[in-house]
Amino acid sequence: MGNRIAILLVTIPMAGAFAACLAGRRRERAGELAAAAVSCLTLLLGILLFFFGEGTCEIPVLLGAGLHFQVDGFRRVYALVTALMWAATSLFSLEYFREEREHLLRYDFFLLLTLGATEGVMLSADLMTSFIFFEILSFTSFTWVIHEQTAEAIRAGYTYLFIAVIGGLVLLMGLLLLQNSAGTLRFDDLREAVEKAGSSRRVFAAAVLILLGFGAKAGMFPLHVWLPKAHPVAPSPGSALLSGILTKVGIYGILMTSLTAMAGVRSYGLLVLCLGVITMVLGAVLALFSVNLKRTLACSSMSQIGFILTGVAMHVLLGAYGSGEGAVTALPGLMLHMVNHSVIKLALFMAAGVVVMRIHELDLNRIRGFGRNKHFLKISFALGALGISGVPLFNGYLSKTLLHEGIVEGIHECPGLTVPLQVVEWVFLISGGITFAYMLKLFLCVFVEKNRDAALQARYDADLPCMNVLSTAVILGSALLCALLGQPFITLRLAAVMTGEEEIVHFAAFSLTNLKGSGISLGIGALVYLLFVRRVLMRDQRYLDLWPKGLDLENVVYRPVLTRVLPGVFGRIARLFGENLLLRPLAKGLLFCAAFLGRVLVTSMDALVVFLNRTLFRPRRIKGIDEKHPGMWRVLREEVTIGARPLSQNLSFALMMTCLGILVVLGTLAALLLR
Amino acid sequence: MIPAITLLFPILIPIVGGVLILFLHFKKDCHREVFSETVVVLTSAAVWLCILFCRSHPITIYSFTSGFSITFSMDGLGCLFAGMISLMWPLVMLYAFSYMKESARKNSFFAFYVMTYGAANGIAFAADMITMYVFYEMLTLVTIPLVCHYQNHESMYAGRKYAAYTIGGAALAFFAVVLTTLQSGGGTFLYGGDLRPGFDPSIMRIAFVFGFFGFGAKAALFPLYSWLPTASVAPTPVTALLHAVAVVNAGVFAVMRMTWYVFGTELMRGSREQYFCLMVAVFSLLFGAVMALRERHFKRRLAFSTMSNLSYMLLGVMLMTPDGFAGGMAHMLFHGVIKMSLFLCAGAFMHKTGCNYIYEINGVGKKMPVTFGCYTLGALSLTGIPLFCGFISKWKLLEAGAGEGSVFGLIGDAALIASAFLCAMYTLTIAVRAFFTASEKDHYANAVRDEADRMMLLPILVFTAINVAFGIWPQGIMSLIGRIAGGG
Repeated sequence: MGNRIAILLVTIPMAGAFAACLAGRRRERAGELAAAAVSCLTLLLGILLFFFGEGTCEIPVLLGAGLHFQVDGFRRVYALVTALMWAATSLFSLEYFREEREHLLRYDFFLLLTLGATEGVMLSADLMTSFIFFEILSFTSFTWVIHEQTAEAIRAGYTYLFIAVIGGLVLLMGLLLLQNSAGTLRFDDLREAVEKAGSSRRVFAAAVLILLGFGAKAGMFPLHVWLPKAHPVAPSPGSALLSGILTKVGIYGILMTSLTAMAGVRSYGLLVLCLGVITMVLGAVLALFSVNLKRTLACSSMSQIGFILTGVAMHVLLGAYGSGEGAVTALPGLMLHMVNHSVIKLALFMAAGVVVMRIHELDLNRIRGFGRNKHFLKISFALGALGISGVPLFNGYLSKTLLHEGIVEGIHECPGLTVPLQVVEWVFLISGGITFAYMLKLFLCVFVEKNRDAALQARYDADLPCMNVLSTAVILGSALLCALLGQPFITLRLAAVMTGEEEIVHFAAFSLTNLKGSGISLGIGALVYLLFVRRVLMRDQRYLDLWPKGLDLENVVYRPVLTRVLPGVFGRIARLFGENLLLRPLAKGLLFCAAFLGRVLVTSMDALVVFLNRTLFRPRRIKGIDEKHPGMWRVLREEVTIGARPLSQNLSFALMMTCLGILVVLGTLAALLLR
Repeated sequence: MIPAITLLFPILIPIVGGVLILFLHFKKDCHREVFSETVVVLTSAAVWLCILFCRSHPITIYSFTSGFSITFSMDGLGCLFAGMISLMWPLVMLYAFSYMKESARKNSFFAFYVMTYGAANGIAFAADMITMYVFYEMLTLVTIPLVCHYQNHESMYAGRKYAAYTIGGAALAFFAVVLTTLQSGGGTFLYGGDLRPGFDPSIMRIAFVFGFFGFGAKAALFPLYSWLPTASVAPTPVTALLHAVAVVNAGVFAVMRMTWYVFGTELMRGSREQYFCLMVAVFSLLFGAVMALRERHFKRRLAFSTMSNLSYMLLGVMLMTPDGFAGGMAHMLFHGVIKMSLFLCAGAFMHKTGCNYIYEINGVGKKMPVTFGCYTLGALSLTGIPLFCGFISKWKLLEAGAGEGSVFGLIGDAALIASAFLCAMYTLTIAVRAFFTASEKDHYANAVRDEADRMMLLPILVFTAINVAFGIWPQGIMSLIGRIAGGG
């Protein structure tokens, strides 16, 4: 019974998508309501699955190998989180899209398809199933990014699409190599199969490709470029899902390969660590510099993904050094951080969605002071911000502490990596500090400070109520969930469910050392805010965009390489070898031989004529013909040039003649040989 | 069981029918349409009759000297090729009726269009190299008038170029034909090849390379590719059926025959010549993809994409493993279906709006949602997204590349992945333009739905349906192809 729910979770939203589409054709409002209803139904199924689901199931035959699903601790929790996020955002979008109804049906249709595909990835039992649903959701979520159809949205859409495609293909290549060397793609068998296969280089290459493929969706450096562009242009419920869930889909894939095929491979751990740390810092710094509400949140997502990846790396590294103790903190830490980040971003992006819905602006200088008297919104945003900054008693604290603990363990357990890991520890703390700084910046800007334009501020103050009861309930509810997840007795139990290990329940969340780590981080954050944000990033009470415009990996490297460098190089090679060096000289050479032969024949005829004239006939002068005869070589040269002229204009005709010649020669040859 | 003489029907019916069309005087268009559709349907029926019931001995029509004759027989590969085109021809005929409605010289167009079918069937059912070669040349000759159909300067040039490249290519291949006819049992096709022992293998390998490039010319292999984009000036039914499927696949088919049924893979496996051919195919597939990305003309872009995809198949064959062979065959079939739907969509667009260039597509999705919806599915499939058949064949090819064992196989895989990415860029941008980008000149801004007519939509929908169906349930066809590749 339990495992059937898994299939329903995947298929019902997909069938619901078509139902919503049909309903929306009849009456506009019906499509929206149907989408919300299907999301809520999925949530119900998610809850059922959470309590009763266990075991594996499959849909045979489809797509060659069939689709395989599995329900266990982590998958169960994440299937529920996914359904929850979808239900919340689709309820919120009932109000969000009230004004802008263009392409709404398309949005709802692809929303539900993506829900089914996401559940498919989260419940998949083998990499092939993950891959198939991963590709589906890549393409269906593309319509969210491009939803508004402005020039900016289309550009961001292209970036998203191409990163998604390249991610998918790299992933495919990785899968192929893994299948080829290990012989299986099932997560359960993968570990043994890899150990048995022994060809570690191929498996490692496969794992790196899989890392890059899933990393593209997770927003990992160097494939993060879509993230800061796609979120600001997508509708806010869409951004919440992109950031809260779709990045986690990428993490899911990375996590599953790290736990199985790459468990305890040191070099893989180091690679993930490097990429994770870069993503963590880069995201935080980008968020600090940003002056756009949703862009800040997007960069923050990237940074949090870096935190999670660091956790993955620590888990792998600790496994490599054999003590196995790492599983106690790093693994639950990263899993909890995934859940926390999903829920936090849900609340934050929906709060940002309210801002967009009311005033259609995202620039911090314009929206400043919007939320001064909107208390529910203020509380929701504050809860989310406190959670993500890792303030004790709120949800981010616990997961970050666990991740921090994982790094500290690594310092003790991994000989030879002590110094690098100490650096990582400090980078971790500083990034946490920057997180606090930019969330402080956002909160103070939107909810505390006054706008410089007094008239605008008055209009903002008069704009009450800013949302209807349903939206208030949804946003406040998700914010309160953040607070709820900050309580160790709930959260550690959840961690135990996800990892399947009971020990974590006894983790001392509020011990002095743990509080100290959080304190350092928050202290750094406060300093950064006071010294850097207020002094450098603000002039005359305005937020400045100081990030250099040219410094964009996409515009500096990716786009030029694809649109200019590659075609240029290939075009040149093609012209050089295809026509200028190969075909044209060949044809010219053949023509020269033919002309030469002809000339020889003609000249010998001329010689005969001259001889006859001298001996048998009397020479006769023809009037009007120039006496001067050009030399034989000159005639020959002219003939070749003139002969080659149509050639350069029309190579093909010459080629045809050449080939006919070859045909005749070969035909004769054949006839001779066959006799 | 039915007598072997049945094998002649698929070849003779369209040729005779085509010649008749040339000489008959039709009072009304619909008479010609009914006549040619009947001929084509009869031919397809004959093909399926042969495929299902006729598994008998080869039949010799005419013998020049001993071991040098026109002979036909049936085997798996031939069935696959003939079966594929026999499904496409009647459908594309319907499309052609509506596409060519306003054109001049319809008699000659349909006459040659029908005759081409016979030539293609001749290639499929040929039992030895000489027979295949004869029909191969015939295929070239009867398609030249189709390329030149509009008879303006551009298409005459295209026709001459086409003739020069493919006849020239065939001349190169002739070398291989002659040598193998001498060195094996009359060049008769036999799975695994039957070269006589004791012949210098190095010369045979060189002959193979000649044959590869020669037959490759029809499959638009680098460096003999440039006729294909030029030939896209032909009417769309020609570009779709002939220059995306029948003619170009005949080139690939000939390479398959030569590799697996005449030379045999033992001769070539692991040799320098094999890897040389492999690398040429790799370069060709990357090159085609990059050039497609650069191209701004809708049909020429698709033509470059065809070039790239044909090289996938050649890559599969050149891996010289049964897996690679199966991947090549699967891609031949699936690419045919996909590219057919893409070209037909392009043709419908061009026919309806009179536009030819990519930037003119902006916003047209509102006007022709079904056409461009099908286009999008085809584009996703061509890129190799699961749920569509392009993924199945690409996965098979990739698997074969990884399983080949040498580093060249992996290079081939990397090239496949890279070109798949480029493929996404050059096909999906069109879909995005159609649906999401607003038109600059705003000529579709207030567009109402205005699809191509039903006769044009029907083939598009059928091919899209096949595309999805094979993508979701690939087992049957893939096991069939696997059996053929294994010599069964």
